[in-house]
Amino acid sequence: MTQASTRATEPPPDTLFRLKVRLVPAVREVWQRRELVRTLAERDLRVRYKQAFLGIAWSILTPLALMVVFTVFFQRVAKVDTGGAPYALFTYLGLLPWTFFSTSVSQGGQSLVTNNQLVNKVYCPREVFPLASMAVAAVDTLLATLVLGLLFAITGFAPKPTTVWVPVLLVVQVAFTFGVTLVMSAVLVFLRDLRHVLPIILQLGLFATPVAYGMDVVSPQLQVLYSALNPLAAVIDGYRRTVLLGLPPDWQLLGPGAVTSALLLAFGYVVFKRLEPGFADYA
Amino acid sequence: MRDGEIQAAGIWKRFRADRQRMLLRDQLDRVKRRLRGRSNAHGYRWALRDVDLAVGPGESIGLIGPNGSGKTTMLRLLAKVMYPYAGRVAVGGRVGALIDVRAGIHPDLTGAENVYLYGSLLGVSRREVARRFDEIVAFGELETAIDRQVKFSSSGMHVRLGFAIAAFTEPDVLLVDEVLAVGDAAFQQKCLDRMRAVLAQGTTVVFVSHDLQAVESICERAVWLREGVVESDGPVRQVLGDYRRTVEQAAEILTPALGVVRVVKTEIRGPGGDTPVSQRPLEVKLLLESPEPLWAAMSIGVSEGPATPIFLLGHEALLPAGQTELRCEIPFLPLPRGRFYLWFGIIESTRDLVPWHPVGQFEVLGPELTPTPRGILRMAPVQVTPTWEVEQR
Repeated sequence: MTQASTRATEPPPDTLFRLKVRLVPAVREVWQRRELVRTLAERDLRVRYKQAFLGIAWSILTPLALMVVFTVFFQRVAKVDTGGAPYALFTYLGLLPWTFFSTSVSQGGQSLVTNNQLVNKVYCPREVFPLASMAVAAVDTLLATLVLGLLFAITGFAPKPTTVWVPVLLVVQVAFTFGVTLVMSAVLVFLRDLRHVLPIILQLGLFATPVAYGMDVVSPQLQVLYSALNPLAAVIDGYRRTVLLGLPPDWQLLGPGAVTSALLLAFGYVVFKRLEPGFADYA
Repeated sequence: MRDGEIQAAGIWKRFRADRQRMLLRDQLDRVKRRLRGRSNAHGYRWALRDVDLAVGPGESIGLIGPNGSGKTTMLRLLAKVMYPYAGRVAVGGRVGALIDVRAGIHPDLTGAENVYLYGSLLGVSRREVARRFDEIVAFGELETAIDRQVKFSSSGMHVRLGFAIAAFTEPDVLLVDEVLAVGDAAFQQKCLDRMRAVLAQGTTVVFVSHDLQAVESICERAVWLREGVVESDGPVRQVLGDYRRTVEQAAEILTPALGVVRVVKTEIRGPGGDTPVSQRPLEVKLLLESPEPLWAAMSIGVSEGPATPIFLLGHEALLPAGQTELRCEIPFLPLPRGRFYLWFGIIESTRDLVPWHPVGQFEVLGPELTPTPRGILRMAPVQVTPTWEVEQR
């Protein structure tokens, strides 16, 4: 037996631990644990509805309230060119992806910290925590989408057949949202101040994204750059074109947006995996 | 690598000694301390230093050691909850880890909802949980908690819930951390039985506990960690024996000099003034010094493990000022062969004239105690000589 006094005080540098990340097994593992994502999301939903008197209504109230506010103010004050569609529909179609994004990022961003009890004590692929938050946001969005149907009925406006493009837009939207959520959740473990900054950034983001207004506020030359910087702009524009105007998505805008989303998702995953060894130590 | 095998080599793990949390108020606090001229002692604290652990399939290992010696950290590394700073960890097959089973349980959900939640945290599919739901409930005795929010249940219930689900996962390696601390005696025995059943199926078990008796009843091998270093690794009885002795020696060193009455000298003698012998008379002589005449309720105890006596003797007497010799004769010493500690105290409701502390140690000669069959929590060792009769009826 070695005596403690004669022991080295530092490990030999060549034995330092490095987490080996292989993409395919890592993704497969998350896929195998998809039930856990569901269970965690279900837990959050159940807890929320047990505590809140209005329960499920909260999923709908947030976008609905913003829609009403925007409709009352923007429609009167600033004339927004909706291409002939009712403004309420126009802005609600922007609010749906935006609310999904902002809920995912704010809840998912904090998911590793709020679940620190589990991060510290139970092994599972860490991605399940931001994913579960996104699943909760997705359920909220789905419920809020039901209101969209109601809005169509009230306004007497029907969705156009080009609505079939929606799944394509959805892929870009989810990829972008997942990328940002991954980065936020990982970085927030180490930089807790972000928790307080995040709501402010998201508030600003609402106005940096064409939710209350249309793509046309940006001059045509800058629209491509705008879409590349903020893929949600291209996505929201796409929803409006396909659902309300009967046009296909503007590929010149959606293309750059999709590229940015893909890059961001890859970047987010790398950041997440790089920081993962420290999660349990700091969370 | 075979299923159920554990190979950990050259493991180092450190934590920030001053956890630099990034909350604004912590930062402000640090700035304040800086301004007052006090430096911040950060740096790292090593939780594990060059630890090797190789476990074969089906082995049962007990990790023992005082608080902060790195047991739980080691378990977390094996569970892949944490990553080491240096070294290699490899665990073959499915790992089931019970590290603070209360962690996965949400207070606002009902018992039934929690069974599913914790099940999927441990990697058991919902279908599997649903299939064995009644078994789980029966094992954990959870009938009353199933429809109730868990926050309204007792903390013992939380542990039972956690263990009941975990008991039905079928891992190749089971890591268990101090989960039995809560829960009543009957449930503890049930958990031990379950762990032994799991062992019998060939599962590897790594068990962390302060309950040395539980470790002894489950594990064949023990690893003793001391300040993040493996102090000793070997057969459970041998390692536990070494460990018990140092804990007791440490207790002796910590003997307080407080108290009104002072123990000047301790003598422990067997027959004819020699080493004590099992089932023979024992004489204890204590020289006490009191500053004033006192009516004293004195207690003498003999222990093998720290602080918990095997037997206790009480006597009340008037202690005059100055030195007094207290003699106590035990006509028949019910102890087996081994090393024991003599404890003494004069305890009153308002103050301790002499705090309860070890005043001496002694060896007992005699026959060895009947070995405890594994799976029974070992009782305090008392030597009893019965006569047996086996008669057919």
